[in-house]
Amino acid sequence: MRNLKADVLIIGAGAYGLSCAWWMAKRRTGARIVVVDAGDFASGASGRNGAGFRMQWGLDLNIRLCQESTLFFENAAEHLDYPRGIDLKQDGYLVLAHSEKALNHLKSAIATQHRFGVPSELLNADDCIRMVPALGRNRLMGGTFCNKDGSISPFRWLDALLKACRREKVEVLYGTQVDRIDKVGGSFQAAIADGVIEAEKVLLCTDWAAPHLLASLGIELPVASLPKEAIVTVPCTPRVKPILISLEHHISVNQINRGSIIFVVSRPRDGHDISSTPEFIGFAAPKILDLLPGVADVAMLRTWGGVSSVTPDMQPILGETEIQGLYVAVSSFRGLMTSPAVGRILSALIMDNDTNDPVLAKLGPRRFHTGDLVVEPLLNQA
Amino acid sequence: MSRSVVVIGAGPAGLAAAIQASSRGCRVTVLDEARLPGGQIYRQADKALSGTDYAEATELRRKNQLLERFAGAAHGLRYRPGCAVYAVFPNREVHFLDGAQTEVVQPDAIILATGVREIAIPFPGWTLPGVMYAGGAQSILKSQRVLPGKRAVIAGCGPLPVVVAAQLLRAGGEVAALASLRTPAAMLADLPAAWHGRSILAEGARYAWTVLRAGVSRLTGHVPVRAIGTQSLEAVVLARADSEGRILPDTEREIACDLLAVNYGFAANSELAAMAGASMRRNPVSGWVPVADAFGRTSTAGVFVAGDGAGLRGALVAECEGTIVGAAAAQPDKVTEFPGDPVLAAALARRQRYEKFQSAVRRSLHVPPGLWSIAAGETTLCRCENVSVSEVLDVLKEGHRSLNAVKRNVRAGMGWCGGRNCLHAVSALAELHTNAAPVEMMTPRPMARPVPFAALAHQRRADTP
Repeated sequence: MRNLKADVLIIGAGAYGLSCAWWMAKRRTGARIVVVDAGDFASGASGRNGAGFRMQWGLDLNIRLCQESTLFFENAAEHLDYPRGIDLKQDGYLVLAHSEKALNHLKSAIATQHRFGVPSELLNADDCIRMVPALGRNRLMGGTFCNKDGSISPFRWLDALLKACRREKVEVLYGTQVDRIDKVGGSFQAAIADGVIEAEKVLLCTDWAAPHLLASLGIELPVASLPKEAIVTVPCTPRVKPILISLEHHISVNQINRGSIIFVVSRPRDGHDISSTPEFIGFAAPKILDLLPGVADVAMLRTWGGVSSVTPDMQPILGETEIQGLYVAVSSFRGLMTSPAVGRILSALIMDNDTNDPVLAKLGPRRFHTGDLVVEPLLNQA
Repeated sequence: MSRSVVVIGAGPAGLAAAIQASSRGCRVTVLDEARLPGGQIYRQADKALSGTDYAEATELRRKNQLLERFAGAAHGLRYRPGCAVYAVFPNREVHFLDGAQTEVVQPDAIILATGVREIAIPFPGWTLPGVMYAGGAQSILKSQRVLPGKRAVIAGCGPLPVVVAAQLLRAGGEVAALASLRTPAAMLADLPAAWHGRSILAEGARYAWTVLRAGVSRLTGHVPVRAIGTQSLEAVVLARADSEGRILPDTEREIACDLLAVNYGFAANSELAAMAGASMRRNPVSGWVPVADAFGRTSTAGVFVAGDGAGLRGALVAECEGTIVGAAAAQPDKVTEFPGDPVLAAALARRQRYEKFQSAVRRSLHVPPGLWSIAAGETTLCRCENVSVSEVLDVLKEGHRSLNAVKRNVRAGMGWCGGRNCLHAVSALAELHTNAAPVEMMTPRPMARPVPFAALAHQRRADTP
């Protein structure tokens, strides 16, 4: 039997879990912080996404979280003492509209972005094609571009966080699944296969899987899951400098520094299957060529799958649940790119009970009871 | 409608399986990457090329007999050369590339007869041009009828290095040294096994005689520890290894050569089986192989495996096994015996007999773990992503245990070949440095081969092949 005690138990060692652990540990309060993960290194959504980060969102809090996180990524090697670097690429992000409706979303979003000082600009179809000649003209209406957006290597980011956590004496245990949580007296008991972890506070960073563990405590959280599949190509000549996202095609495109192009393609599905499906290749390839005819000659190297969490307003859920000491962090499509800011905000909440950040007031888990939701429009989702 | 069967691979197992399933009334399609049937072992040269491939006459006879049997059965089946299968799914969908087109078929049964790839144990300089797999050197000789080098050193274990040395000599090449981990004659120690394999051993003896007569320097117990050269291979340093694979001091000797052909046995080409959802296990000699019953059934319904792709068997066992698995795949029900069927009875008996010999061959391919420590530091382990041995060792030291975690950390297995070349080495290093056998292989994903979007955007779909 393994019986562990923790001041804070974090469940999930993805970008949210590890970032929260690092921000907590670097306060050096002596608190014992334990992170457990059912899988192994980078095996969940944080290691399976398109690797992009962007400040181009339609809602103020998403923009703020990403502005703060972008600044962190730019200096991550220093902040986390990780000389290898996180493969930062900052060639901008081009969000494309292929319909009047999408273009109107972009126009209203860019007004909000400018209020927060995001250096984004509105482009017409010709501008977009000048920027990325491989793009198709078919239905293209225009787009918005921000040159500070970019991508990182999810693996380097998670490794940087993991090493920084371990330096700060955080215990990170892979292959350790929590089956249920019980509140016993003033503390929590998390059941694992070969024992129990007793913790004063628990932070759930299991993203789309959060409802399952919360149910064992009688809490309902409206989180659904969307399986997605991704493609990586063999390295090819530079042809997609900024990251692309097409709101109609439900595709994001990122040519990383080594020359491979990563496509994340969504289609309406549910469940949490991460396998590569037989239908996917035939579904994705024509869509990709409609968006980007200039990659017809590029060879697809591999596919893989991952799962995003979906919330009713397409915004993250961050904060304390109705049970005192039990916190939750659900990313809703943007865990990697918001993880630095989310780590800071939740560590302040959990370690200092600091509830001042407006994110906590608006994105807390209790907002769904009031029913006052505003949906984020700029998402790559089916 | 009769039962549809797709056979992937046209080596001895695949050809025999196709002949057998077709003779039982199935609609059979054989998909193979090469332009002519035969696989690696019975690889055929372009008909326009003159000359011989320097193989033993008995071996050529076996090859020709099988190819003729296949040609005879060909009117009842569809043979599609030049087709590269890039994905197999648990629902039995087979996705493949034929020229500039992709196709998807979903037969009632799939027989994976995908054969093996060679194993090399990395050493400093092993990525220099001029260093190649022994079977690769042999296949240049077989298919193009040219010598892959002027002055060769051949190294490794098991029977292949001797065969390749002899064939290079017969083709007029110079062999400066043959370094075998253990003497090939060790296979004779198991007398019953040797008896069952006497026909193969006779061929082996004739190859060995070619090597002896040419006066090739034979360095038993020696292994390559360093390849030297600036642009390409100029010399190799061999040294003696003890039974644990530790290199003994003061045993190094340098030999000038422009070809170093290496073979430490064969690992199964099992990615498609894993992609199809078959349960896999690791075999120290043949790598990750699908779990299968005596009739080649994997854990995925309708997906069968035959020949070397199911674990090292050799051409003779592979051919018998193709017949057995072809018969089983032809049945809609899970049949476990074929009473009163002389063809099957003979194939089962032959497989059992040859299998005794083959187990002795497998023992000759046992690699002492210490050899995996010859490469250290900056030596490249994964050539696609240029990952060094020390990068992999660092990740293991940090406590990562699963092969997928190693892959996500250092990218070994994420490149062009999808781990076909480094998976065996990474598995061996992980076992050596953590004292625990890895439980799962790196997850193989579509595509098994890169395919251009233009071809993927127009998938031809047929319910039956």
